[in-house]
Amino acid sequence: MLRTTPFHARTAALCASHAWRRWAGYVVASSYELSHDREYHAIRSAAALLDVSPLCKYLVAGRDAARLLDRMVPRDVSRAGIGQVLYTPWCDAAGKVLDDGTIARLDETVFRVTAAEPGLRWLEANAAGLDVSIEDTSDATAALALQGPSARDILERACGADLAGLRYFRLTAARIAGHPVTISRTGYTGDLGYEIWLDAADALPVWDALVAAGTPYGITPAGMLALDVARIEAGLMLLDVDYVSARKALIESQTSSPYELDLGWTVDLGKETFVGRDALAAEAARGPAWRFVGIAVDWDSFERLFAEAGLAPRVPLAAWRTSVPLYGDGGQVGYATSGVWSPLLKQYIALAHVEARPAAPGPAREREGTREHRRRRAAAHVVKKPFFDPERKRA
Amino acid sequence: MKPYDAIVIGGGHNGLVCAAYLARAGRRVLVLERRERVGGAAFSEQVFPGFTFTVYSYVVSLLRPEIIRDLELPRHGLHVLPLESTLTPLANGDHLAQWSDHDQNRRALARHSPRDAEAYDEFGRTLHQMARAVKPLLGMVPPDPASLAPGDLAGLARLARHFRGMGRGVFHALHKLLTMSAADYLDEWFESEALKGTKSASGIIGTLLGPRSPGTAYVLLHHYMGELDGVFRAWGFAKGGNGSVSAAIAAAARALGAEIRTGTPVARVLVESGRATGVALESGEEIRAGRVVSSADPRRTFLELVGEAHLPGELVEAVRRFRFRGASAKVNLALDALPDFTCLPGPGAHLRGAISISPSVEYLERAYDQAKYGEFSRRPYMDIVIPSMIDPSMAPPGKHVASIFAQYAPYRLNGGWTDARREALGDAVIDTLAEYAPNLKSIILHRQVVTPADIERDVGLSEGSIFQGELSLQQLFSVRPAPGWSKYRTPVEGLYMCGAGTHPGGGVMGAPGRLAALTMLGARR
Amino acid sequence: MSGATVVIGADADALVAAHYLARAGRRALVVDEREAPDAPALEPGWIPPRVVRDLALERHGLVVHAPDPWAAAPLPDGGRLELARDLARSAASTARASRRAAHRRPQFCGRMARLARVLELLYAGPPPDPLARAPGELARMAGLAWRVRRLGRRAIEDLLRVLPMPAADLLDDWFESDELKGLLGLGGVMHLAQGPRSGGTAFALLHGHVGSPPGVFRPPRSNLVEVLARLPGIEVRRGARVARITVRARRAAGIVLATGEEIAADCVVSGIDPRRTLLELVDPAWLDPELVRAVRNVRARGVVARATLLLDREPGFSALTLAPSLDDLERAHDDAKYGRVPQRPALEAHAVDEAADAAGRRRVDVHVQYAPHALAEGAWDSARRAALGDQVVALLAAHLPGGAAAVVERSVRTPLDLEAARGWPQGQMHHAELALDQALWMRPVPALAQYRTPIRALYLGGPATHPGGGIAGAAGANAAREIIRDARRGRL
Ligand SMILES: Cc1cc2nc3c(=O)[nH]c(=O)nc-3n(C[C@H](O)[C@H](O)[C@H](O)COP(=O)(O)OP(=O)(O)OC[C@H]3O[C@@H](n4cnc5c(N)ncnc54)[C@H](O)[C@@H]3O)c2cc1C
Repeated sequence: MLRTTPFHARTAALCASHAWRRWAGYVVASSYELSHDREYHAIRSAAALLDVSPLCKYLVAGRDAARLLDRMVPRDVSRAGIGQVLYTPWCDAAGKVLDDGTIARLDETVFRVTAAEPGLRWLEANAAGLDVSIEDTSDATAALALQGPSARDILERACGADLAGLRYFRLTAARIAGHPVTISRTGYTGDLGYEIWLDAADALPVWDALVAAGTPYGITPAGMLALDVARIEAGLMLLDVDYVSARKALIESQTSSPYELDLGWTVDLGKETFVGRDALAAEAARGPAWRFVGIAVDWDSFERLFAEAGLAPRVPLAAWRTSVPLYGDGGQVGYATSGVWSPLLKQYIALAHVEARPAAPGPAREREGTREHRRRRAAAHVVKKPFFDPERKRA
Repeated sequence: MKPYDAIVIGGGHNGLVCAAYLARAGRRVLVLERRERVGGAAFSEQVFPGFTFTVYSYVVSLLRPEIIRDLELPRHGLHVLPLESTLTPLANGDHLAQWSDHDQNRRALARHSPRDAEAYDEFGRTLHQMARAVKPLLGMVPPDPASLAPGDLAGLARLARHFRGMGRGVFHALHKLLTMSAADYLDEWFESEALKGTKSASGIIGTLLGPRSPGTAYVLLHHYMGELDGVFRAWGFAKGGNGSVSAAIAAAARALGAEIRTGTPVARVLVESGRATGVALESGEEIRAGRVVSSADPRRTFLELVGEAHLPGELVEAVRRFRFRGASAKVNLALDALPDFTCLPGPGAHLRGAISISPSVEYLERAYDQAKYGEFSRRPYMDIVIPSMIDPSMAPPGKHVASIFAQYAPYRLNGGWTDARREALGDAVIDTLAEYAPNLKSIILHRQVVTPADIERDVGLSEGSIFQGELSLQQLFSVRPAPGWSKYRTPVEGLYMCGAGTHPGGGVMGAPGRLAALTMLGARR
Repeated sequence: MSGATVVIGADADALVAAHYLARAGRRALVVDEREAPDAPALEPGWIPPRVVRDLALERHGLVVHAPDPWAAAPLPDGGRLELARDLARSAASTARASRRAAHRRPQFCGRMARLARVLELLYAGPPPDPLARAPGELARMAGLAWRVRRLGRRAIEDLLRVLPMPAADLLDDWFESDELKGLLGLGGVMHLAQGPRSGGTAFALLHGHVGSPPGVFRPPRSNLVEVLARLPGIEVRRGARVARITVRARRAAGIVLATGEEIAADCVVSGIDPRRTLLELVDPAWLDPELVRAVRNVRARGVVARATLLLDREPGFSALTLAPSLDDLERAHDDAKYGRVPQRPALEAHAVDEAADAAGRRRVDVHVQYAPHALAEGAWDSARRAALGDQVVALLAAHLPGGAAAVVERSVRTPLDLEAARGWPQGQMHHAELALDQALWMRPVPALAQYRTPIRALYLGGPATHPGGGIAGAAGANAAREIIRDARRGRL
C-alpha cells in the first residue's frame, strides 16, 4: 500500500474522479473533479488548495547550520535574513544538479530545507566536521499550498493576521484554528500564493479552517494535473521530468548543471567554496553547453498541420512529460521535456533544453509531434520564461 | 551411419545448451548423460507423490536471454515467473522486506534506516554501472594474458580499452568490488544489520568463505546482471522448477536434431596421439566422434575422464589446486500448509518471494566459523522459496513445497557425512527456521536433505561444489578453469569443456555451454 | 628552488619526504606532537636502496638488522624450525618439520620471490594509474607491463592467481607442516584484521617479502627513524601539536599549532593518517562530500599489541614465531573479530640486537596478534593490559631458557596505547590496512593516490599512501618527488 498524507481523510472524500497519482511514495489526487480544468482556473482566478505534504522536509539546526547549507548549495545562505526563503539547486562535485528545493531561515540557526527527493544522507555527508543536527521532518510536517489571486484574503481570514507585509519568499509564524503554522509566500504556480507548514497532527482542523475561510472566495481543492499546467506556465522545472538528478543519472550526458537549467542566477561564485564550485567556475568561464528555455508552438503552423489531414488542431489539455525532439537548421538542436496547452494564454507552450549555440530567444525552431499516427513537425520559437508572470505574484 | 561430429559428455543444462547450438549449426551431436534424466543440477523430481521438488538449484537469474531467444525455449515450455520480494525475518519478531516496487521498498527500508533507504538507490546505480562494465566480459572468450599470440594480444588490448573506457568512478568501484569482502563493501553503504546481512549473503553462495573475507563482494554484482537485459525482474522461478529449464533446452536440442542418451555414463575420453577421438562408456561401448566436449567439472574431466598421462604437468597441478569445497546443502519439504512467520503472520505476498535467514553479517560469519573447522552451521544461513506459491502445480491443491538452500555444510565434514549427520543437518535447518515460523514442524509431510556429499554422488559435482568450482577471483575469467586454458579448449586436441567450471562460471546461465559451442564452431566473439 | 615546507609527523616516510625536499632546496620543517621519539625501537620495513643511496643513510649510521635465521618456530618434538636467509642452509632444518616441505620450499620460494619482485617494481614509483592518458604515464605502464611479461608465463599466471588468494590456501597448496604454514601464514595477516583463510592475505604475505632474498617473508628492521631524525638538512620540532592546516584561496598556507602559533608554508606534507589530516586538520568544507565519505571509509583497524620484555639472560633466539598452525591463527582471529582477546594470540618475538644494558638485561620485542582495538565487553585498562602481558609471558615461557622467571620486566602496549603514543589510527601501524582494495592506485582512496589532495600544496606522504607501510620511506620519497615535480611545473 502506498502511504496517504495527513490530509487524506479530506482529500479522499473530495476525490470524485478517483484519479490518484504517486508522489514520493504517497498517493495524492491527480484531480478531484472529473477534469482538472476548473482546478486550474481556480489557481489563476480565485484560489486553489493543494496538498503538498509529500515534499521532503528537513530541519537543520545548530551553530553551524548556515555553514552546512552554504557548503552544500551554490547560493549564499549566510546572507539570508531570518524569515527569508531561498530557492536553490544543489550540486555534486562535478557541478551537476542533484536536486532543487527551498531553504527557509526560521531562526538564526534553524533552517527548513525542502527537497524533491530524500536527501538526509547528502545533508549528513555535507555536515562532516560541523556542529549541526539534521532532522527528517517529512512525515511529521504537513504542507498545503494556497495559490491564486484570493489566497491572501483567505489566509488573512483564516489566521486573523495581516499578511500584506509578507513579501515574496518570506515567511511568518501564525495560527490557524488555534494551531501553530508557518506561512511562507512561496509556491509552484507562479501566482500569488502561500505555503503553509504545520504539524501533521493538526492537518485536518487546519484544512477545515482554510476551506471554511475560503469558501466565500471560491477556494477549490486542486490536484497535480492543475498544478502541472500552472508550473509550466510559470516556467518551473520538475526533477525527474525536466532534468535527471546527478545521483540517478547513469551517464554523464544525462546530468545538468545549474547553468544548463537556467539557474545561473543561483550560483554565487563569490563564495569561497561550495560543492561543485570549481566545476561551475570553469563552466561559467567556458559557457554552458545547454540552455533551458521556454518554447511556444506557432499556432498557424500547428493548425496547418492538422488542416492538411482534415482535422482541427488538437492540443494537450493535460501536461505531457516525455522527451520531444526540437530541430533547427541542420538537425536536432534540443528536446522539450514538458509541455501543455495554456488555457489562459491560449498558447501551446513547453520547457526545453536546447544546445547553447543558437540560443538567443527568437530564431525559429521546429518541434516534433504526432498528428494522426504520424510524426510531424510544427514551427516553434524560443520565448521568455515564465510564460505567465502576473504582477500579483510579487506585489 | 554418419559418424558424430561431436559427443557432449553430460546432460546438465550447459551440456544441453552446447549440444543445441552445435545441432543448430548442422552438426551431428550426441549427448551422453550418466543419470536416468537430464538436467544435472537443474533438475526437478516428484520425490513424494504429487510434490515436485526443484531438487538442487531453484531460482533463475542469469539464464542468458540470447539463449532463450536462439533456442526458442518458451516454445519448448520455459516460463520464468517473477519472485517479488525478499523477506528477512529477525529474531526480535521484526523483519526487513525488500520489494521490487521502488516506493514500497524505500518505505520498508526506511523503517530500519532512512539513510539506507536513500543509499539503496545509489548502491543500485553503482552496481548497475559496474554490471554494464562487466557484462561484455561474460559474453567474451577470455584472452590469455600470458600469451603473445596476436589473437590474445588483440583481446588484451580490447580488454584494456574497455577498462580504460569505463571511467574512473566505475573502474575504481569495480576494483573495490573485486577485492573487498561483502561485509566491508556493504559497510561503506549501509548501516542496517539486516540489510547488510541479506545483501552479503549473495556473496557467500557456493563458497567456503565468510562474508568478511575479501573476494566475496564480487558476487553481489551478479544480482544486478540480469537487470541489464531489460528483464523486468532479475530473479525468477521457472514453472515446474529448474528441471523444466533443462527439459526445455533438451527439447530444443532434440528438435534441432541432437541425440540424447541418458543412463549412459562415460568412463573415459579416448585419446589417440594427443587427439580426442571419442569416448568409452562404462558399459565398454566405444563411440567415435570428431570432437568431444565435456560438461563435467574440470576435476572429473581432466583427472578421471582424460587422465594425467595425456596432460601437461602444469595443468594437472592447476586442476588439483582448483577449489571446489562444496559448502551448500538443500532441504526440500512437502508441506501440509503454509509456514506461518511470526514477523508477518498468515499468508501474504511475502511468501511469494525469497525468505532469507540472514539477520546480520555476524550471523553469517558465525555460521562460517563452524564450517571453517569442519562442522556444519548449527544455525545456518538459509534462502527459502515456496515454489507452490508461485507455481501451484508443484504440489497437490492446498499443499505446498518449500525449497531451502542452506549454508554452511562443508563437504569435508569432520568424520565424514553419514545418514545420521545428514539428518542432523536437516534438523538444524528445521530447528532454525522454526524459530521464525513456529508452525513449521507440525506441517512437514516429507523432507529431503541433500548434503554436498549427496550432490557429488548424485549430480557428479566434485565435492558438491554447486558452481563446478568456487567463483572466487583467482578462479574467474582468464584463469577458469586453469591458466592458459580459459577458452574452452584443452591440451588434448579435439577435446573441449563447456560446463560451469569454465568462464563465466556457475549458475543456471547457459553461457559456458553457448560460448563453448561458438568456439567449437569457430565463431569469433 | 626555495620555499618553506611543513611536514607533519616525524615517522620514517615523513622524514624521508622532508629530506628529499630539503635536498631539492626547500626549507623543511618537521613537526611532531610527541615530545620525544618513541622508545628507540627498531622499526620493521625494507628500505628501498634508492632511498638509502639518495640520502646517504649508510654514511650516517644506518644499521639494518636482518637476523639469520630470520624466523624460527618451535617444533612439537622440542626442536626448532629455523629458516636461514640462505635457502640451502635452512634445508636441513626445514626437513625436520617436514621432508616434503624441504623438498618443495625452494620451488615455492623461487616463485614467490618472482612475484615479490613484481611488487617491488610497482613500489619503486608512484602508483601506476591504469586510466591515465598522459604519454609519460602510459609509457611507464607499458614499461612495467613489459618487465612483468618478461618474467614469463608462470609469473603472470601466479600473479593473477596468487594475489587474491587466502594465504592459507596458498600455503596448503605447497606444504603440510603446520609449523611452517603457521609461521609463513602470520606473514599474510601481519597488521591485518583478517585471518589467513581470508582472500587477499597472500598479497600481504608477498608485501612482507618485497626487497628480501628469496624465501624471506619478513622485512628487516632498522634504526632508520633515528638516523633520519639526526640527519642534517631539516629542522625537527617536537612537542608541536598541529591544530589546523590553514587553507587560503584554495591552497594550503601553513599550519596552526595547538598553542596558537602559526607557521606559514607554501607546501604542507602530512605523514599522519589521511582521516586525521583531511577530516580534522582541514576544514572539510574544502572537500567534496563524496571524498569525505571515502576517507571515512578507509579501513584502519588495529589488531596488534606490542610487548617489550627484559630478560636477565640471553633469550636463545634472534627471532621466534609462535603460530603453531593456520588453524591457530584463524582461531585467534575469530576471537578478535568478535572483540575478544584471543585465548592464544600469535606471537613473534625479536631479540633486540644490542649489547645488554648496564644490569645485563636483554630486550625482546614481541608482536602480539590479534589484539582488538575495541573490546566487545569492557575496555582496555591496566588490568587487561597486564593480563595480556601474562599471556605473552606464559606462551613464551616454554621457549625461554629459565622459563617465565627469566622475564624481569615487561610492558605491553595495546592498540589503544599505540594509537595514543604513535598516532596510529585505531592502532593500525600502516594507517590504512594493506589489502588489495587499498593498494596501488586505490591507496588510500583513488582520489588521493597520487599524493596530491584536492587542496593545492597539501600532500599526503605517510604509510597510508602507496606503497604503504612496511616499505620504509618509499611513500615519503614518492610524495617528495611529486611535490618537486609540481614545483618545477609551477603547479605548487
Ligand atoms: C544445491 C544447489 C543449488 C543451486 N542453486 C542455484 C540457483 O538457485 N540458481 C542458479 O542459478 N544456480 C544454482 N546452482 C548452481 C547451478 O545449478 C549449477 O552451477 C549449474 O546447474 C551447473 O550446470 P552444468 O550444466 O554446468 O553442470 P551440471 O549440472 O553439473 O551437469 C553436468 C552433468 O554431467 C553429467 N556427468 C558427469 N560426469 C559424467 C560422465 N562421466 N558421463 C556422463 N555424464 C556425466 C552429470 O550427471 C550432470 O548431469 C545450484 C546448485 C546446487 C547444487
